[in-house]
Amino acid sequence: MIRGAVGTLRTTFARPASAVGATVVAIFLIAAAVGPLVVPYAPTQQILTARAQAPSVEHWFGTDHLGRDVFSRVVAGSRDILALAGAGTLFAVVVGTVVGLFAATVGGWWDEIVFRLADAFLAMPALLLALLLLGTLGPSRNSVLAVIVVAYAPIVARVVRSVVLSVKQRDWVAAARLQGEGLPWIVSREIFPSVLPALAVEAALRFSYAIFLVASLGFLGVGVQPPAPDWGLMVAEARDHVHRTPWALAFPAAAISLLIVGVNLAADGLGRALRPGRT
Amino acid sequence: MDHPARSLRSLAALAVALLVALTAGLAGAQTLRVGIETPAQLDPAFASADAEILVLANVYDYLVDIDAANEVQPGLAESWEIADEGRTWTFQLRDDVRFHSGAPLEAEDVVATYDRLRDPDAGLPTGDLYANVVDVRAEDARTVVFELAEPNPFFAYDLSDNHAVIHRADADEFGSTFDGTGPFRVVAYAPEDRMTLEAVPDHPFRAPGVDAVELIFFAEQSAAVSALRGGQLDLVLRMPTPLYQSLEGAPGIERHQVATNAFDLVRLRSDRAPGNDPRVVQAMKLAVDRELIVEVVTEGLGAPGFDTPLGPLYDAWHRPDLAPPAQDVERARELLAEAGYEDGLELELHVPDSGDRPDLAAVLAEMLAPAGFDVSIRLQPESVYYGSDGWLEVDFGITGWGSRPVPQFYFETMIACDAVWNEAHYCDPEVDALIRTAGSTLDEAERTEAYAELQRILAAEGPYLIPYFFPQYAAISDAFGGLEVKAFPGRTDLASVHPR
Repeated sequence: MIRGAVGTLRTTFARPASAVGATVVAIFLIAAAVGPLVVPYAPTQQILTARAQAPSVEHWFGTDHLGRDVFSRVVAGSRDILALAGAGTLFAVVVGTVVGLFAATVGGWWDEIVFRLADAFLAMPALLLALLLLGTLGPSRNSVLAVIVVAYAPIVARVVRSVVLSVKQRDWVAAARLQGEGLPWIVSREIFPSVLPALAVEAALRFSYAIFLVASLGFLGVGVQPPAPDWGLMVAEARDHVHRTPWALAFPAAAISLLIVGVNLAADGLGRALRPGRT
Repeated sequence: MDHPARSLRSLAALAVALLVALTAGLAGAQTLRVGIETPAQLDPAFASADAEILVLANVYDYLVDIDAANEVQPGLAESWEIADEGRTWTFQLRDDVRFHSGAPLEAEDVVATYDRLRDPDAGLPTGDLYANVVDVRAEDARTVVFELAEPNPFFAYDLSDNHAVIHRADADEFGSTFDGTGPFRVVAYAPEDRMTLEAVPDHPFRAPGVDAVELIFFAEQSAAVSALRGGQLDLVLRMPTPLYQSLEGAPGIERHQVATNAFDLVRLRSDRAPGNDPRVVQAMKLAVDRELIVEVVTEGLGAPGFDTPLGPLYDAWHRPDLAPPAQDVERARELLAEAGYEDGLELELHVPDSGDRPDLAAVLAEMLAPAGFDVSIRLQPESVYYGSDGWLEVDFGITGWGSRPVPQFYFETMIACDAVWNEAHYCDPEVDALIRTAGSTLDEAERTEAYAELQRILAAEGPYLIPYFFPQYAAISDAFGGLEVKAFPGRTDLASVHPR
């Protein structure tokens, strides 16, 4: 298991693009972990005497129109967005996997009901679903988490189902059934391992979508509330001031793009490494 | 047989003639393209936003109008007389006014307009404003008489309320058909998209300077400003300070800034904890640096406010010397501790996502923190903030108040005990008595005294912060002149705009 993981990582890093992606993600993870402790200013601190300053030695990314240090905000914001998108993805993957595994393995009516429902959710664009949910729940971190789960769990369940359907007719599953093993055992021991590679890639992809969703909701003003250093929110706030403080818009926007591209490249590498037929 | 060269020459001449005719036609048909927010409601009784009033003010006329110096000017009424100690107001209508449908304006139309607005059973927003009116009647086809229960020195201003555009006596389908007397008639209206207006060239007292107006609705002011820069719009009314600043030096664009009595009101609900403790109100007032707020939030363009709605535009009554206490964070912290919040007071600040209000909220949250206030911000779209009257319920909120020609409006609709929009749930019998005096006395000295006392009380102990009066901004293509932006931008007269 461990050796397999190391091998996968090595294959992932073998492609330069994937290596770059993984490195970018790692840098953001480190920033999220220790950044808020080491940034020069508190992310909401307004230095009203130093408003709209261009990038300098004191303020690496400049200050915004209220005198807040953009570098500190971008770094502190990385924890927010990674934690929110990460936790949301984790929940979505767990919920989607459990539901997908069992419904698809059991089949019949359960399969019908669960996946018609999932299809209904999938028919709605994620952002529309998010706006609808946040309109009723009210904007907060927990609501954003709920939105990610509701938007992405059905997609994960679909991916899991497609793998399960191809696996569950295999001989070793039939053998387990003949041995009289129970459903939980069959699902967790016989079927789940086959789902794992596809699931890993799907989770990484969902993660990049979740980052974009969190940033979009912040930008639209229905996600995390000000003055939190949310990247999407920062872009929205800086938009009206773009003629005077372009840096306050450019850096958070660049951070969003960089992180999403990084996650996608890494996910791509992971997908290649886990593709059946490779060792 | 024609010489080929000659026929070519005549063809060229024809082309030139055509081109000249075409350009002349284009130059003659001058359209003013205006970017405004999307009107939600065009029934005169309910319209309130600038975009909505802009449509009404230019498609209809008012009985009397208010000019930039806050003086009452003739409108559909060319003259008026006040009798019976201010209880009887008699208006003479012009005899040359016609509705767009062709019918002449008659006194009955004016009577019907005000009867609808003042109907106490209809529950219209203007019901309170005209509660003092006992009777409106047409003496003859040109004469309208208003009888009041109590003298009202500001009655002419009330008659020119934003809602009070004169429509036909038999008008119905308000908000979808528009038969006005104004300088522009509605040709096409695509809700949420645009409205096309055509000039009424022979309007008797507001002759339009352009041939047509295209009102294009924008959900985003930044998008409207971009369209103005790109030449797809000629005029943008209303924009936040940073967008206005961004247009400095923009080629072909002329900026307009007009001082107003509009303000952002920060208020603490005072009929329940924590706002019902005067020490908490004092702590809030002591914690803020008003000058810094003006400088940061309005970028120095606003006029300083002193926690009363009576701003510098009313210079006969404005008393900046009766200012609230100066910033003293230490004292604020002590007061908050005395009130029982030594571990900090958590408050949720409800803020509409428009104008400079989000910035004001962010600055306030930081300024109040050292005094022990723990403020979290709840930003909402304007329609949600004002929707279902949630703004009248919350404990701590920021509300934008538009500019009005007389200060009495604010006292009666916002501060009196039974005021419709008493968002702070403030009630002080002494203040109420002063408001009544100011609004009814015919003795100017007594009114000045009442307003001074009101300012003293509100500055010292009212549950309000009014840190600034903000200017209104507009920007217009330099191909047009004659624009005079009103303090309430929706009342801007588009008829005065003309091509240069």
